Parts: sequence; structure tokens; C-alpha cells
Amino acid sequence: MKLLVPFLKKTIRKGALDIMVAEWLFTAFSIVAVLGSAGLVLSRHPMNGAMSLIITIISLAGLYALLSAKLIFALQLIVYAGAIMSLMLFIIMFLNIQIKDLPEEKGRFLYLIGGAVLISPFAAFLIKVVKTLPESQTTIIGNGFGGVNEVGLVLFQEWLLPFEIISILLLVALLGAVVLAGKRRLK
Amino acid sequence: MIQDYLILSIILFCIGMLGVISRRNVFTVFMSIELMLNAANLAFVTFARLHESMDGHVLAMMVMAVAAAEAALVLAVIILINKHKGKLDTNIFSLLKG
Amino acid sequence: MEHINTYIGLVPLFPLIGALVLGLMHMLTCKTDKYPDKLYGIIACIGPILAFCVSLILFFKLRGMPADSRYLIHDVFTWFAVGDLHVTMGFLADPLSSLMILFVTFIGSLIHIYSAGYMAGEENFGKYFAYLNLFLGSMLILVLGSGPVVMFVGWEGVGLCSYLLISFYCKDTDNVLAGNKAFIVNRIGDLGFVLGMSFLFWAIGSGGFDYHSLRENAHHLAPSVGLIVCLLLFVGACGKSAQIPLFVWLPDAMAGPTPVSALIHAATMVTAGVYMVARFSFIYAHVPTAGTIIAWVGILTALLAAFFGMFQKDIKKILAYSTVSQLGYMFAAVGITAYSAGIFHVFTHAFFKALLFLGAGSVIYALHHQQDVWKMGGLKEKMPTTYKTMMIGALALAGCPLFSGFFSKDEILFSALATGHTGIWAIGVLVAGMTAYYTFRMIFLVFHGKPRDQKAFDHAHEPPAVMTVPLIILAIGAAFAGVLNLPSLFGGSLAVSHWLAPSLVEHHPHVSVWIEITAILASVIAFAIGITIAYKKFADGAVEPEFSGFAKWGANKFYIDELYNCVIVQPYKTTGSLISAFIEPKVTDLPIKFFTWLYKKLGASFKVFQVGYVRVYAIYMVIGLSLMSLFLSQTIN
Repeated sequence: MKLLVPFLKKTIRKGALDIMVAEWLFTAFSIVAVLGSAGLVLSRHPMNGAMSLIITIISLAGLYALLSAKLIFALQLIVYAGAIMSLMLFIIMFLNIQIKDLPEEKGRFLYLIGGAVLISPFAAFLIKVVKTLPESQTTIIGNGFGGVNEVGLVLFQEWLLPFEIISILLLVALLGAVVLAGKRRLK
Repeated sequence: MIQDYLILSIILFCIGMLGVISRRNVFTVFMSIELMLNAANLAFVTFARLHESMDGHVLAMMVMAVAAAEAALVLAVIILINKHKGKLDTNIFSLLKG
Repeated sequence: MEHINTYIGLVPLFPLIGALVLGLMHMLTCKTDKYPDKLYGIIACIGPILAFCVSLILFFKLRGMPADSRYLIHDVFTWFAVGDLHVTMGFLADPLSSLMILFVTFIGSLIHIYSAGYMAGEENFGKYFAYLNLFLGSMLILVLGSGPVVMFVGWEGVGLCSYLLISFYCKDTDNVLAGNKAFIVNRIGDLGFVLGMSFLFWAIGSGGFDYHSLRENAHHLAPSVGLIVCLLLFVGACGKSAQIPLFVWLPDAMAGPTPVSALIHAATMVTAGVYMVARFSFIYAHVPTAGTIIAWVGILTALLAAFFGMFQKDIKKILAYSTVSQLGYMFAAVGITAYSAGIFHVFTHAFFKALLFLGAGSVIYALHHQQDVWKMGGLKEKMPTTYKTMMIGALALAGCPLFSGFFSKDEILFSALATGHTGIWAIGVLVAGMTAYYTFRMIFLVFHGKPRDQKAFDHAHEPPAVMTVPLIILAIGAAFAGVLNLPSLFGGSLAVSHWLAPSLVEHHPHVSVWIEITAILASVIAFAIGITIAYKKFADGAVEPEFSGFAKWGANKFYIDELYNCVIVQPYKTTGSLISAFIEPKVTDLPIKFFTWLYKKLGASFKVFQVGYVRVYAIYMVIGLSLMSLFLSQTIN
């Protein structure tokens, strides 16, 4: 990964990326993402699941980069993989979960197969919908599309009110977390 | 290519959904939801690329903010559940039973 | 514009404000520290007295106007307007209503003053006066209302207040039952009134539903509809004014405090029916059939009540039956279209009946709530003022020449004779004799002879001035009120009749003076016979007789209460219990119970899906989602 990112950045700066390379990268990232998510769903211990999710998140970041979303690529790595997932790992370790604390889930695989059967019509339908969309190439756009400056302008000009509301949401969530997890005063 | 991104998004979303409905571990359920949010984000960014407009990026940022808020709350709730019941099983709650 | 007058509304408003203030004062303080009774008494008297003053102003203002356009009107606000029905909350003062409010407020004020003495020391003093003020206010709304709907507001108001006051001593079940009886019987009448009002609106109400418009449109009323309207309204009047067959509540209404009886019988409530018929004279005058029925019902009520009155032993019940009897006269008068005579009898009757009730109240007060005339006697020396004033009242009631009752009653009987209702006249003369008999039976038993209960007699004393002064004022009124409407035979000019003429639709028949003399002579003879028999039998120490035969029937009021109980109340109860025992559970409830059972079963069968795990609900959602996807994917190629 660490090798891949500077490489990608360099190629983006150059302004053109070979389509073949892009397809190759997409295939690699998507396989890793699907494997990571499968690991999340299948693993028994949440620590394993969290690690798998991190893998998925990082490969998604790579896909964002392929889609010329530079800011989102950075945020995915910093906020998701960096902040949210490390918080999650921290909590999992903080609770010191042993294997005996976990639910039994004996029929887990049966459930998963049944669930997959249930979901498959939905997935098939969505894929069918997507197939009707016009096909288009995803070459990297170099003229500042998805950069901090441009996204910031859009965010603070057209999406100012939702942005402020989101800030209130975060504040409320913060308060809620403090109230929920904070020490109860003895009555 | 666009279709491939979207199909990947759909696959990830459905895997997240599968995790939500078939697992009992609270952490796994929660992380599956995060996965679903990520799949949605991928779709947003893909559409932004398709239309070459950055509104999709803004929306993806907001989803991240929501995910962060959700993480804070859900983790607090999980800590409480673990403190009171000593378990991480979603099946310990069946108050809605008729 | 000169007919618009903005302070008519003050007349009912003053007592109503008084009621509100007193009620609040009572409610806020009855549990803790009470205000002194005197304060309540004074506040209670302010409202009626102010109302009387405003009534006087209105009266003189009306007098200053030309005779054919004497009315003042004040529309306060539009109450509601639905389709053609525009009901205005308005007040109308014309000769009829101004005369009514004049004596209603005057006598009402006196009764309030008297009550302050009579009720002294009673529990719930403030509540009593609040009700009393409300009663007077309702009656004034009834009288002053500019249309039937406003009248109905007051009509219901007096019904409510009579209920509240009759069962004022509510710790005794009998009193509560008496209150209930009054209320229920009045409801029957009210139903008639409402139906009559509706018919009236249906027939001629589209041109406006106040008295002026109705009077202008009265000639559009078809005779058959007119008869229905008249009779239905008369059912209402029967309930309120205690006529056959709805008179049974009035004697029971004696359960209330004596000043309340005075108020009900003299100034408010029972006269409402007569007032209403006179108010609607523009309809009744067109429907002679209805008038004849009313007159016969009235005179038969008078006869029946006089019978009952002859055998009662409770002083208040004697007076109650005399009221029913006199009301019968009034209805006979309005029935034969002698409206002014009827209203004039209402007017004089208010004075002497208030006087008699307040006098009886003094006697009861002096004897510590002894009401049985057979336990009284010889009170003449102990209570001279009460004796003298009550004597005047009794003479007026009995129709002694030159007292007020004589002139008003004679006017009625003369009208009956002059319009050719000989039967009514004959019964009326008979009732006049009976009235003299039972009135003086009461007077002689109470005041003459020897005391029958020595202990009570020794404690008897004249009540305080706050009670005797109203008696004296009323006695003056009872003696001389008749002068206001002296017939020409006695050198008068029928002033009251002429005053009332613009409000009423009536025709004075021109008959020879000999008929008038005949009527007067007959009345005087009847009076003389009645009083002579009473004197012979009771003046000097009669003892309580054992009733037998016809007299026993009379004493038991012909068992009419029992008859009503058997014929109406019991079958009603039986039907009710039958319905509650059989029809409701077996017929009407069964299908409903079946459906509730069905829903319960259905609900129980769906219960298995409600496992309680949130995950499972998510699975249900996904199932739904998948089914929808399956369905929708058909639409996409």
C-alpha cells in the first residue's frame, strides 16, 4: 500500500494513466475489498472483523483515488481508517473480549447462506438497474477535480446549511456519548 | 468501468446487509453497518465522477461525519451493554416480543 | 336609531355578575376561613337592586316614547348564523317585558333582603346567594331575550337554578329527589318548547328569528302548523308553569328553603310559561283552538289544585297548590286571549304570593322549621306584623274586594264571561270560592284559635326587621297593586292593559256593563261563602280531622304521583332493565363481541412472528425488499 500511494499520486500529477493500469488496479482493489468484507462477515472474533474492515476501507480509498476524488481519498484514510476504526479497535481491546464472551452462533453459516439467498434478488435487481446506465470511462481528471480547494468551495457555497447541521449532529452525538458512557451518579 | 464500480458498491452493500441480518455479535453488526455506509460512499463518488460534479464528494463527507457520530454513540451503547449484561449478543434483548 | 339602547343587557348582567362573584368567593373560602354572612348578604342584594334601578330607568324611557313604537332593543352580538337561522344575542324591552322585569327585580330584591335574615347561620350561605342571583339573572334573560332562542337560554337557566335550589339541603335524600323531579318534569316541558321552536323556525323562521320578524311573518303561518307550534310551546309552558299534567313537581319543590319557594312562585320560573304564551300572543291569537285547549287545561288545573289545597296540612304545600291554582287562572286568561288580564294577574300574584311565602317563612322561622298547620295556632299575638301582612296577602289571594287579587281575578273571570266561555267562568267562580276557603283555613289554623303546640308557641317570636320590612313593603303592594288596572266600572282606566297593548295581540270585547257586574257579584259571593265556611270550621280551635272518602283522595292528591309512578316511571324502568338484561348483551353486543374475538384470535396468530429480536425484524425487511425487487425487476429489460 505504502508503495502504491506515491505511485498513484505521481501518475495523477502526470495527468494521464494508462487505462489498462487503471483496470488492473480496479480489479485488484475490488478483490481485496470484497475479501475484506467477507472476512468481516465471516470472522468470529470482532478483532479479526475490524482488521478485515480496515483492509476494505483502505482498498476503497484506492478506488476513490482512481475516481479522481482526491479529498475523499485522503479523508477515507485519515477519518475512516485513522480515526473511526482505531476508535473501534480501541474499544474492542478496552473491553478485553475473550472468546467465551462471544455469542455462540452455532448456525452462523446456515444463517449466512440463508441470508445470501434472501438478499440475492435485491442484489440482482440493483445490478440490473446499474446495467441500464450508460457506460463511460473513468480516466483520471487532472484539472483540480476533487481537490481540497474545489470541494471546499462547493461545500461552503452550496452545502453550507447541511454542513452546519452536520456539525450540530456531531455535537449532539458527542453529548450523547458522554451521557451514555459517563459515570452514573449514585442515587 | 462505471458499471463495475457500481456493481462493486452493490456487492459490498449486500455483504454488509448480510452481516446485519445473520450475525449476533454486536461489533460485527455495527461494522457491517459501517461497511454499508462505505458502499454507499463508493456509489456517491462514482456518480460524482460520472457527472463530473463534486456534490457527490460533499455527500460522501457528510456520510463520514454521520458514521463518526454513529460510531461514538454505538460504541458508548456497546460499553453499556457489556457493563450491564456482560455479553455482546444482540439476542439478549427481546423486549419487543409479542 | 332611537330604539337602540345599550344598557338593557345590564339588567340580567348585574345579578349574573353577583352570582359569579359570590360563587367564586364561596368556592375559594368554603374550606378555610369564611367571609361573614353579612358580606355575602350585602353583595347578593346589590345585583338585584341595581337591576331594579335599571329596569325603572328603562320603564320611564319607554313611557316617554310614543305609544305605538315603544320598544328598545340591543343586539349584543351574533350568536350563530347557520343557513337561514340567524340568532342574535339580543335584548328587547317593550311594555310587556319592561313590566315583567320591573316586578321581577323588585320582588327579587325584596326576597334577597329577606333571605339574608332567613338563611342567617345556615351552612353554604354564599352558595345559596350565588344560586339565587343566578336564578334571577336567568329569569331576566328569559324575559328580556329578543328572540325565542335567547328566551330558551333563560328558560334552561331557571330550570337549572330551580333544581339547584330545591335540592339545596342536599344532605337529605328526599330534597334531592324533589330537585330531580322538578328537573326531569321540566325537561319534558323543555322538549316541547324546543320542538315548538323548531317548528316555528321551519314554518316562518327564514325571515328572521326574533320577535319582531316573527310577528311580521305570523300571518304566513298555516293554521295546522300554527296549532302544532302553539300546543308544543304550551307543553313547555306546562312544564315550567306546573299545569296538568306536569304540575307534580311544584308541590315537591317546597323542599327548598322558603325564600326560594317565594322566588319560584312569585317572581321567577312559574310565571315564565304565562309570559311565554303572552309573548307569542301574535301566534296564539291566530289559533283559537289552541287557546281554548290552553284555557280548559288552565281552569281544570286551577280546580284540581284548589281541591288538593283544601286538604293539605303543610303550610308551604297549601301555598304551592294555591300557586298552581292561580297559574291555572292565568292560563285560562291567556287561553281566551285576555293576555293583559293574565299578565296583570301574574303581576298582582307576584306580590301577594311572595308576601304569603315570606310570611309563611317567618312562621316557620319562628317555630323552628315546623310546617304542619295542625301544630300551629294562636300566633296572632306573638307575631302581629306577620299576621297583619299575611292577612292582607290572604285577602288578596282569596279575591277580597278592593285588594289586588280581586281586580286581576275578576278581570279574568269577566273576560271569560264576555267572550262566551261560560263553562270556564263557572269553574273559575267555584275555584274562587275554594281559594277563599283554603286560604283562610290556613290563616285561621295558624294565627287564630288556641296554640296546639304550647312549647313551640312559647318560643315563637317576631322575626328581625330585615325580614319584616320586605313583608310590609309587599303587603302594601298586595293591597294596592290592583289600583293600577282599575276597570272603568270603578272609575279606573285599565292602565296596565293599555300599557301592555302594543306588545300583545288582543281584542277587548265590548259588552254591557251588567255582565261585568254579574261577574263581580259572583266572585264576591264565592269569596264570601268560602271565607264563611272556613271561619265556621277553623276559626276557633279545630282539631286535625281524619280524612275519609273523597277528602282522603284529595289529601293524597288523587294519588296522581302514584299513578305517574305506575304508568310512566315503572314501565320505563322495566323496559330499561329488560334492555340491559336481554337486548344489549344478546342482540346488539353479540356481533361486536364476535368481531373482537376474531381480532383477538387473528392477533394471537400473528404473534408468533413477533420474536423480539431486532435482527429478525431486519430479516423481515430484507424479505420485503427482495419481494419488491423480484416484482420490480420484471419491469426492467
